[in-house]
Amino acid sequence: MKKKITASQKRIMMNPFIQFFRFLALNIKILMVVALGHGSTRTKN
Amino acid sequence: MSKIVVLGAGIAGHTAATHLRRKLSKEHEIIVVSPNRNYQWVPSNIWVGIGRMNPKDVIFPLEPLYKKSRIEYKQAKVSIFWPEGDLKSRKPFVEIEYVFGEKKGTKEKVEYDFLINATGPKLAFDQTEGLNPGTNKAYSVCTYDHAIHAAEGLKKVMKQAKTATEKINILIGTGHPKATCQGAAFEYILNVENEIRKAGLRDKFNITWISNEYELGDFGMDGMLLSYGNEQLSSKELIEMVFEDRGIDWILGAGVTKIDEGLCTYENLEGETKTISFDFAMLIPAFSGHGFKAFSQNGNDITEKLFKGFMIVDADYTPKPYEEWRVQDWPETYQNPSYKNIFAPGIAFAPPHAISKPRKSPNGRDIFPSPPRTGMPSGITAKLVADNIIHMIKNNTDEIHHRGSLGNMGAACVASAGFGFTKGSAIAITTFPIVPDYQKYPETHGRDIKKTFGEMGLAGHWVKHSLHHAFLWKAKMKPFWYLIPE
Ligand SMILES: Cc1cc2nc3c(=O)[nH]c(=O)nc-3n(C[C@H](O)[C@H](O)[C@H](O)COP(=O)(O)OP(=O)(O)OC[C@H]3O[C@@H](n4cnc5c(N)ncnc54)[C@H](O)[C@@H]3O)c2cc1C
Repeated sequence: MKKKITASQKRIMMNPFIQFFRFLALNIKILMVVALGHGSTRTKN
Repeated sequence: MSKIVVLGAGIAGHTAATHLRRKLSKEHEIIVVSPNRNYQWVPSNIWVGIGRMNPKDVIFPLEPLYKKSRIEYKQAKVSIFWPEGDLKSRKPFVEIEYVFGEKKGTKEKVEYDFLINATGPKLAFDQTEGLNPGTNKAYSVCTYDHAIHAAEGLKKVMKQAKTATEKINILIGTGHPKATCQGAAFEYILNVENEIRKAGLRDKFNITWISNEYELGDFGMDGMLLSYGNEQLSSKELIEMVFEDRGIDWILGAGVTKIDEGLCTYENLEGETKTISFDFAMLIPAFSGHGFKAFSQNGNDITEKLFKGFMIVDADYTPKPYEEWRVQDWPETYQNPSYKNIFAPGIAFAPPHAISKPRKSPNGRDIFPSPPRTGMPSGITAKLVADNIIHMIKNNTDEIHHRGSLGNMGAACVASAGFGFTKGSAIAITTFPIVPDYQKYPETHGRDIKKTFGEMGLAGHWVKHSLHHAFLWKAKMKPFWYLIPE
């Protein structure tokens, strides 16, 4: 069955108060993925 | 003293030049050759294309910054590479032609010790008949001047809609059977839909996504399995959910072959030729190499040693079927194997193959996305190349110290879904690695599920807007710019 964005999910997505905390968390989560290094796939590093 | 020539001043070229300048003493020369006098923060062209940002918000002139930072700037374009020098001079050089000012049309030889080719893609509109930004009711947002025209075109149809008795058709997606950059088109369609809805005109429009992707959410990255809240969701399900919510229709497996005034012709994966009419379209063109030439010292054509469309680097280019593709095929130093002082970060390097599974129509036409190389990996690979050159210069060695494969690198794509401080939204997607490693992560579609997630909402818009300011701060080399990651 196809997923739907429910009305309550939408309210959370657009609630500035909740989203402020999401904003802080999202920045940290993104940083953890992109800024914690990269490396080779051919040699061990 | 070393002389480093950087070709191109986009995300990759500018990143390389600024890091080189910061870390190398002034006795080393850094020269940037680029035809566009402005730096542009390309991701924000989406907002220029809906009229929410002015071009001046996304660009700044390069010359004053380079002058202040002691980077030499030549507003010119490169055309020929002489990696061994010629019979007169044994030093390698490139031939450039000035495109602006008193020197316009003048040709020059620029010698180098190290060369960074960061010329990105050629926007190959000519590969799709009739696709030319601003004509036939079709537009582009690939550059800021294209985006200005797109915003005007959108404004016009929105005005027209107020009195129209019939629905107006909008078509957004890929304009070539092997186009890439689906992410940019995806952002644009959501922003256009949001603008139309905010103007109270949503019921006057049909909005359609057209793409060479086999499934929604492929994005040229073979799709993704994402952590989404407490569950796991495929990128197909996520994008389907967003399009359903926004009332956007979709056509997939479509190789656009021709654009006439308000009419798009495409071939699908069933081999049928179909058409769809539109009043406004934004279609991403094919990205190709620039058609550069290269010659040996005695004047023999050695283009195939340097280029395979884009520049040849340390990738494994052996042709092989999809089932045999490995992350190890992807480059990690961006160094040309024949000339060790030439590098190609960003979009300028030739990828070993696509990332998405290749598909053909029964008529033999390839219809699938080419591999995307977004801003973040463009910046990371450019910094990595700069760091390797610095290491080589400082230690007087040929040894490569830094490595970074797209198969062992994360990326974030914060796709704007609407503009506005309290009414904006975005879909933030991260992926690790960028190129799926099906051997390492066999259960989670080639990616680390803890680092591959999707999230929607207003917070995403704030992140995207903050990134706009942060990356322009960084590009303008304002205080502590180098602390902001690529
Ligand atoms: C509308 C849009 C939105 C996008 N949004 C995002 C996003 O949200 N996030 C993200 O990560 N990525 C995004 N991208 C992708 C990102 O913009 C690219 O990955 C990035 O710009 C690639 O950088 P580059 O330096 O390799 O190439 P480019 O930015 O294309 O730079 C190439 C440079 O080379 C110069 N040049 C061209 N020809 C010559 C020549 N003959 N001689 C010398 N110089 C030459 C050009 O003038 C330019 O300065 C988006 C792309 C588009 C089009």
